[in-house]
Amino acid sequence: MKILVCIKQILDPDMPARDFKVNAETKEAERGGANLVTNIFCENALETALQIKEKTSGKVTALSYGTDDTEDSLRKALAMTVDEAALILREGDSNPDAEAVAKVLAAAITKLGEFDLILMGRESGDWGVGQTGGLLAEELGLPSLAFVDSIEANDGTLTMRRQTDSGTETATVTGPALALITNNEFNVPRIPKTRDVMMSYRKPLEKFSLADIGLSAEDVSGSSFYEVTDLSIPTKDVQCEFVEGDSIDEKIGVLASKIQPVVAANS
Amino acid sequence: MSSIPAGVPTREIYWNVPFHDLLYVFLVPTLAIAAWGVYRRVRLWRAGQPILRFDRLGERLDLFVKDVLAQGRVVRSSYAAFFHTGLVIGFLVLFAATTVVAIQADLKIPIMQGPFYLFFQSLTVDLFGLYVLVGCAMAGYRRWKTKPAKLVYTDEATRLVLLIGVISLTGFLCEGWRIAVTDDPWGGWSPVGFVFAAASDSMMSDSLMKTLHTGTWWFHMALSFGFVAWAPYTKMLHVLTSPLNIFTANLDGYGASLKPLDFEKAERLGVNALTDFTWKDLLDLDACTECGRCTAVCPANTVGKTLSPRDIILDLRELMHNNAPALLTTLGANGAGTKGADSSAPAGAIDAAATLPPVIREGTPLDPEALFSCTTCAACMEACPVHIEQLPKIIDARRYLVMEEAEFPEGMMNAITSLESRQHPFPGTQFNRTDWAEGLGLDVLGDMEDPTEAEVVFWVGCGGALVERNRSTVRATAKLLKRAGVKFAILGREESCTGDPARRIGNEFLYEMLAKGNVETLNKYGTKQIVTSCPHCFNSFKNEYPQFGGDYQVHHHSQYLQELVEDGRLLNGKDDVEKKLDRKVVYHDPCYLGRHNGEYKAPRALLDGALNTKREEVARSGRDSFCCGGGGGMMYIDEKPDQRVNQERASQLLESGADTVAVGCPFCATMLEDGVNARKGDREVSVMDIAELLLEAAGDDEASAPVAE
Repeated sequence: MKILVCIKQILDPDMPARDFKVNAETKEAERGGANLVTNIFCENALETALQIKEKTSGKVTALSYGTDDTEDSLRKALAMTVDEAALILREGDSNPDAEAVAKVLAAAITKLGEFDLILMGRESGDWGVGQTGGLLAEELGLPSLAFVDSIEANDGTLTMRRQTDSGTETATVTGPALALITNNEFNVPRIPKTRDVMMSYRKPLEKFSLADIGLSAEDVSGSSFYEVTDLSIPTKDVQCEFVEGDSIDEKIGVLASKIQPVVAANS
Repeated sequence: MSSIPAGVPTREIYWNVPFHDLLYVFLVPTLAIAAWGVYRRVRLWRAGQPILRFDRLGERLDLFVKDVLAQGRVVRSSYAAFFHTGLVIGFLVLFAATTVVAIQADLKIPIMQGPFYLFFQSLTVDLFGLYVLVGCAMAGYRRWKTKPAKLVYTDEATRLVLLIGVISLTGFLCEGWRIAVTDDPWGGWSPVGFVFAAASDSMMSDSLMKTLHTGTWWFHMALSFGFVAWAPYTKMLHVLTSPLNIFTANLDGYGASLKPLDFEKAERLGVNALTDFTWKDLLDLDACTECGRCTAVCPANTVGKTLSPRDIILDLRELMHNNAPALLTTLGANGAGTKGADSSAPAGAIDAAATLPPVIREGTPLDPEALFSCTTCAACMEACPVHIEQLPKIIDARRYLVMEEAEFPEGMMNAITSLESRQHPFPGTQFNRTDWAEGLGLDVLGDMEDPTEAEVVFWVGCGGALVERNRSTVRATAKLLKRAGVKFAILGREESCTGDPARRIGNEFLYEMLAKGNVETLNKYGTKQIVTSCPHCFNSFKNEYPQFGGDYQVHHHSQYLQELVEDGRLLNGKDDVEKKLDRKVVYHDPCYLGRHNGEYKAPRALLDGALNTKREEVARSGRDSFCCGGGGGMMYIDEKPDQRVNQERASQLLESGADTVAVGCPFCATMLEDGVNARKGDREVSVMDIAELLLEAAGDDEASAPVAE
């Protein structure tokens, strides 16, 4: 089975909160001193793909749309024992929206060949829009399923389990399909073996420009899909007051008198 | 003995022993059997990888004198010191006496006479023979009565003690009967023999004594020859292997005991077959005397974990002997044994190596769970009387598990993953590398017009900058450096982990990447001197970075601050502290400053200069210090509640009655603060870094760290 996994590199969500800054002008997060990491759900998707490959056979390809820095994420995917990787180089500074990314990925996938299964993370840890997968399925004309937490491959059919608000649903799919992977206890991304990390530098990683996949800068800019009108970090206002009093009873009294108006105002 | 005039003290050799020349007939097979016993071990070591351990002969001879001849490490335990030294010297003296007999009887050189005969051959030999007998009795008493848990109780050990005892006793019997029957005028010079003579004389006739003498003499010789032939097949082989092991010991300290790995050539990353070890590792196995001191001092073992350095060595030894044929095949296939199974080795060698069992096996002393509970504190290596290197073997096995199998505890995985993507082992930290320095106005190398203006780089370390508890430590250090007028700068965001946790967990690859990156950064700024408040960083710079072209003069902050105090640059000299502390302080030696790098004095001197009171010491301190539980990647592991090394150590420190535990390591600070809080009951005890205490002594308002709740 040929599986393609789309992965996204994002700003480290574990960066210290005080280091996180946004640019109100460009309406983007600023990189600052933060590291770039692979989006966790994308790693769950990679793990899912690798487990299917190990149980059946075939090949796993990792694809990303990003900058030269994104090579690190793809090398890590290769170290996890993905067979080959492709990177479409983004032009310009800004982060494209889901529609533009879906267009790019669709063009890249068409160029890379035919795949039996395309996996993505359910959403990315930076913007959390969660639309790229559905839009990509639309571009490719494939059936898609979101919030999938496990996939079993049997004789050409794929049994996918998806999480819902009320439990799980199971779907059986034949032929090419796209699934958006969410995390569960079985798809915790593996820690690469050092041997595989060393090998990852010898595995094929092809870089393409937009022109290489038949797109122009105009094709992927000026999307009308949605617009970010404002971007700011919410401010937290904390007030702390110690209740004074000579005895416990007095303190309780003071506390009650302070709470009462707040409770009354909110009820 | 006609050549010796009458009246000159001597005795007749082979008195009352007809056919004594038969000894020479028996000696040949005896020595042949013994030689084979030695050779069959030596050839196994040759299956190991090469390592240079016959260089620096002067230093090696020094060590040999200190720890073989003077039994430097054996005597650290007073009971063992007494009986083992007795056995060693007794053996040497009795061997000398036998040589004297040989010179006299075989070379016909009459030396066994006169005062030499009386003082050495009679008196000295007799007394040391008695020492051997007493030594056997003491060894037996320990083995059968007091039974300390650290010993290994085997029939072989029992037989050896009995055999040596009986050999010694029968020697005295023969001597006694000879003195009694010959009415030896010099008999009094052999006091033990003389007592036997007197006792026998009162009980039996001369003819009976003569008969018994002949029989016992042959029995004594049979046992002695049997002992010589059998010894190399038992743990008595240590008589040869232990001195050799001490001679070929690692001379560079425990901080430099891990081997670099050649990632280009290594067929296997780390160790999982006996042939992956070096020949010295294999010699280590045969040098073990089963004394158990390593396991007795192991912190993981003390709190009830399965790790036992002694059993790792004994298990590997058994594995080596049980797989001798396969090991020898690798040797033959390789042609030149000590070259090991390198990539150019013929296929036969690799096939043979493939038949060797793995060394990491569940349910054995080399179970992954045991291997991943080592704090790399090196107490085992410091305790070993014969310089066995347990720690590098544990790390070699970890390397295999981490790099070839990617199987290791989750907490360590999180630290490694964080090191890979964030260059620090603390995922989820809410601090960046410069938050702690807010308001101090420190120079950051990357922002300086001329970075060489900074005479010293203050290496902050992840444990200082990113862990809430320790931010006050690095802040105090920086403030003290400023007070003393030291021209220093920090690297800020350009600093990354030195790689110590990665290396100790077993990810040598990641360690190398981090180390090379740091060396590049530091060399870019022309760094010459480094001060750091983290002993782990200190160890990396001192012992490990030179391999990557990072040659710096590195100081632990306690060393550097103490120098500043001595130079009068800080606190106006040590007798003029602005506000001497009334705290009752006990100092905890960090393993990577103390045992790994031999610095015990500077932190103590610094504290003594800052205190009004007398500093406390605990039994486990200095060279014998007990780990805080945080080294070797254990910091990142959630230990079972009843198996926490930090709490055990906290209890030891609390016993001193101190109200302040002084530390010199961010890992120790975190681990011991948790431990002290768990064990202190309703006492008020704080854990503070020496820099924090010094700043308090300097009268800085900001100094007082919060008292543990």
